[in-house]
Amino acid sequence: MSTPHKDQDPMLRIEDLTISYHRVPAIHHLGLSLNAGHCVGLFGPNGAGKSTLLKAVAGLLPAETGRILIEGKELSKAAPLIAYLPQRESVDWDFPVTVQGLVEMGRYHHVGLLGTFTKRDEEAVRQSLELFNLLPLAKRQIKELSGGQQQRAFLARAWAQEADLYLLDEPFAGLDRTSTESLATALQTLKQRGKLLLVSHHALAEAEAIFDTAILLNGELIAYGPTTDTLSSIHLECAYGTAVYSGEHHHHAKQ
Amino acid sequence: MSCLIQPLHSLLEPLDYAFMQRALLSCALIGFTNGFLGTFIILRRQALLADALSHSLLPGLAVAAMIVGLSPGGLLLGGLVAALLVALGGQLMARNSRLKDETAVASLYIIAFALGIVLIRFARVKVDLTHFLFGNILGVANGDLWIAYGAASLTLSLLVLFQRPLLLVLFDAAVARASGIKVGWIETGLLALTVLGLVASLQAVGVLLSLGLLILPAATAYLLTDSFTRMLWSGAFLGMTSAVGGLLLSFFANIPSGPCIVLLMAVFLGAAYLFSPRYGVLSRMIKGRHFHKESLERWEGHQGHDHQVPGSDSKH
Repeated sequence: MSTPHKDQDPMLRIEDLTISYHRVPAIHHLGLSLNAGHCVGLFGPNGAGKSTLLKAVAGLLPAETGRILIEGKELSKAAPLIAYLPQRESVDWDFPVTVQGLVEMGRYHHVGLLGTFTKRDEEAVRQSLELFNLLPLAKRQIKELSGGQQQRAFLARAWAQEADLYLLDEPFAGLDRTSTESLATALQTLKQRGKLLLVSHHALAEAEAIFDTAILLNGELIAYGPTTDTLSSIHLECAYGTAVYSGEHHHHAKQ
Repeated sequence: MSCLIQPLHSLLEPLDYAFMQRALLSCALIGFTNGFLGTFIILRRQALLADALSHSLLPGLAVAAMIVGLSPGGLLLGGLVAALLVALGGQLMARNSRLKDETAVASLYIIAFALGIVLIRFARVKVDLTHFLFGNILGVANGDLWIAYGAASLTLSLLVLFQRPLLLVLFDAAVARASGIKVGWIETGLLALTVLGLVASLQAVGVLLSLGLLILPAATAYLLTDSFTRMLWSGAFLGMTSAVGGLLLSFFANIPSGPCIVLLMAVFLGAAYLFSPRYGVLSRMIKGRHFHKESLERWEGHQGHDHQVPGSDSKH
């Protein structure tokens, strides 16, 4: 897992990464390396730095120490390869856009400012919709979808973008059983097609069914590797048993 | 024949006057541009910020009138500077103090407005405060028309050129930033264009009503469509139609033009609010509370099968 199987750069390499909010570090000197074709769960208590890590990889937070490499490239040059999926509550579901329009947004990077959609772009949009079973819903406004369908629509947009690294912040939060299953299936599809998925997740219960690899965080990296080994009781005790350092006053760090 | 030609002639009567020709042209340009711009402001949820900015134009206009008199270029520049100072000052205050941004901007704009009323007393030329507050479309001079041309073409070409990154930023700024878009530049640019749109509509409707041209047509379009592009262009078209229509109405009914334009826009907004096929309050009431027949069919069709997520089949 930690060594690339071919003699090439791993999809995601993080070296000695520290991220702080107002001098309180949310992630301490974290280092890890992940290859393509894996569905990776990000676990840890509240304030462990799960969202922080995802935002840092998305390029939304500056690194205090260390660096992040995507396929060997600096983050600033790798933006089109990354798809950051927003938390559901940060999306304006009343936005005047259909599922098709949403997926088309994924192609903007390819068509440029004024370029028209070519046959290839249209085909990419259609394939994305098909891959995530959204073709019958293409003309719907995004609010008229179920929770699982909404998540799949955002995955379809990322697929149309031709991203290689998918960052998902608590995508399973608030989904019912059926929606959870449909989203898990969609993640498996992406994994099989050689994408790397980094997904923050709350519940440990169904972790093994969804993720082949797990990262356990508590401000620091506790463990990472195959899900079963990583989420062993001794690791969990270590992650959830100690309080997260959150500065002198020890207030609750923002997640 | 003459019974047909007579009303037609009186309908075209306003076009006989040069001041009306200028006013109509100016209304069409500004109505179209601000209607287009309005979509961005509404989707960015900055309608109230735009209102604050419109009030903060006043001290800029007053200072410009003190220095250069009533030249359109000077007024444009003065308004632009004042509004940008309030917008950026508000952000600065919010960032380095405990005040939240809407408190900071609201405080600054009302202070600016009060300052403007005082400053206008010291203008070099005699300035009628009501012209600034409510506009004076019939006083449109050729210089004002050039300003309208310039503002309209600059705003439209920039918005059309950057339509795609703008859409991404409006939809989700964090995601747009992650995909490599310079979100700060896009947001600042949009703010600057908003101020330009407000200043350009001053002559037509004044400080107090300029917000109407920006917000009402786009809000109407928002209630009518699920397509971003259609919202943009129908907002623009509605803005143009109601600005021209409102001006003509005011000519025939002999009432002030600014309020007349805004009220005509209000009629369209009210109609969309009530009767929009999808989102109208009355239309939804008439249609019933849910897709009864289809949900019943699906229920019967799926008995004995796996549980189906509501809405996972096509409703149409």
